[in-house]
Amino acid sequence: MDNNNNNNNQQPPPTSVYPPGSAVTTVIPPPPSGSASIVTGGGATYHHLLQQQQQQLQMFWTYQRQEIEQVNDFKNHQLPLARIKKIMKADEDVRMISAEAPILFAKACELFILELTIRSWLHAEENKRRTLQKNDIAAAITRTDIFDFLVDIVPREEIKEEEDAASALGGGGMVAPAASGVPYYYPPMGQPAVPGGMMIGRPAMDPSGVYAQPPSQAWQSVWQNSAGGGDDVSYGSGGSSGHGNLDSQG
Amino acid sequence: MERGAPFSHYQLPKSISELNLDQHSNNPTPMTSSVVVAGAGDKNNGIVVQQQPPCVAREQDQYMPIANVIRIMRKTLPSHAKISDDAKETIQECVSEYISFVTGEANERCQREQRKTITAEDILWAMSKLGFDNYVDPLTVFINRYREIETDRGSALRGEPPSLRQTYGGNGIGFHGPSHGLPPPGPYGYGMLDQSMVMGGGRYYQNGSSGQDESSVGGGSSSSINGMPAFDHYGQYK
Repeated sequence: MDNNNNNNNQQPPPTSVYPPGSAVTTVIPPPPSGSASIVTGGGATYHHLLQQQQQQLQMFWTYQRQEIEQVNDFKNHQLPLARIKKIMKADEDVRMISAEAPILFAKACELFILELTIRSWLHAEENKRRTLQKNDIAAAITRTDIFDFLVDIVPREEIKEEEDAASALGGGGMVAPAASGVPYYYPPMGQPAVPGGMMIGRPAMDPSGVYAQPPSQAWQSVWQNSAGGGDDVSYGSGGSSGHGNLDSQG
Repeated sequence: MERGAPFSHYQLPKSISELNLDQHSNNPTPMTSSVVVAGAGDKNNGIVVQQQPPCVAREQDQYMPIANVIRIMRKTLPSHAKISDDAKETIQECVSEYISFVTGEANERCQREQRKTITAEDILWAMSKLGFDNYVDPLTVFINRYREIETDRGSALRGEPPSLRQTYGGNGIGFHGPSHGLPPPGPYGYGMLDQSMVMGGGRYYQNGSSGQDESSVGGGSSSSINGMPAFDHYGQYK
């Protein structure tokens, strides 16, 4: 339905746009090198991919700091404080909790969910999927050091898939790059969605799906526009940005 | 670069914190309850109705409400993205694990210093120690601003004007609205929350102009109508 390839109806392609695999192979000129060009090209492309991902995550953190500076409503938390307190107290050693701790955790967990979701979605995009799956989360956990404490939550088979993907990509830092003739770093992988799951998910998603006009590039544009909004706010320009902030709190 | 550090380095925190084992032992059972809640969420368009048996409800208390989690996830996903049920449940489990992980570290510091109350500083310290450096800076700003608001509330009781307005007085009309919004935060905020839930497209609120569009429409129109104005307003930022 949606054409992800060069669908820039709403804006010119920004430098940090994350194009599909075919676009990447055409856009990036293969650098000359002494070793095998195929392997080097794959490695270079994968490295470029990682750089783009790092850029997007950096944009995320910059935006979060700007947004937090504009927070004026501390009552409408995205997560219930009582539930946070209950989870904190699940540890019998925890005795007393100050009133500020759950409030701080409410924001911290929001940042945590956002970061984990972004990293997971990047993996789904690498596999040209539009449904975030458990193995995408497993991949994000495997690739991120600070998420190592979550390894027990995802089954080993999910992590093994990620290792296979890393081997196939040939660019993984931990895996020695084998001299494989894989020109692309988007091998078809990822288990097909469970039919039952899809059926359950479809009714709820149909409305937004039907009206979903922006392709995956809209995701980057959202961050950039949000960052732009932040800049406007910092310059004191105004009306719409301030109102938007109120909405975001609602 | 992310893989440069050996994983063995991070095994120490897990071994120190016994919470991981406790959480791990509890992981398999709640899967069933999560499925039930997820189904309820889908049927009610994200509004969680607590109709589960008592045992399931108690197990569900160990996780954040799935509707809240999904709403936050959608803020950062493109509108055409879908989230599988097992992904929703996995994020739920990860959040609880994160709270327990950081709380365990903060509590150890409290006990070491023979204090009984876990404070915001302890949590920020724990996050820094556990490698969540990106979180400490925005959260420090967040909690400091929260304290400012609390102080201003006290000042307001004494009849003094809120310092927040003085601080942002020169920034134009943009911050006049939020300042005025402070007196009746409950009803206004609640209304906005309803609108956000009805639209189901929380992502739009990340953009000031998009938020304004939805406010002007009043939330009663279909998503397609809101979509087009959003595109127009994107042009303003290009």
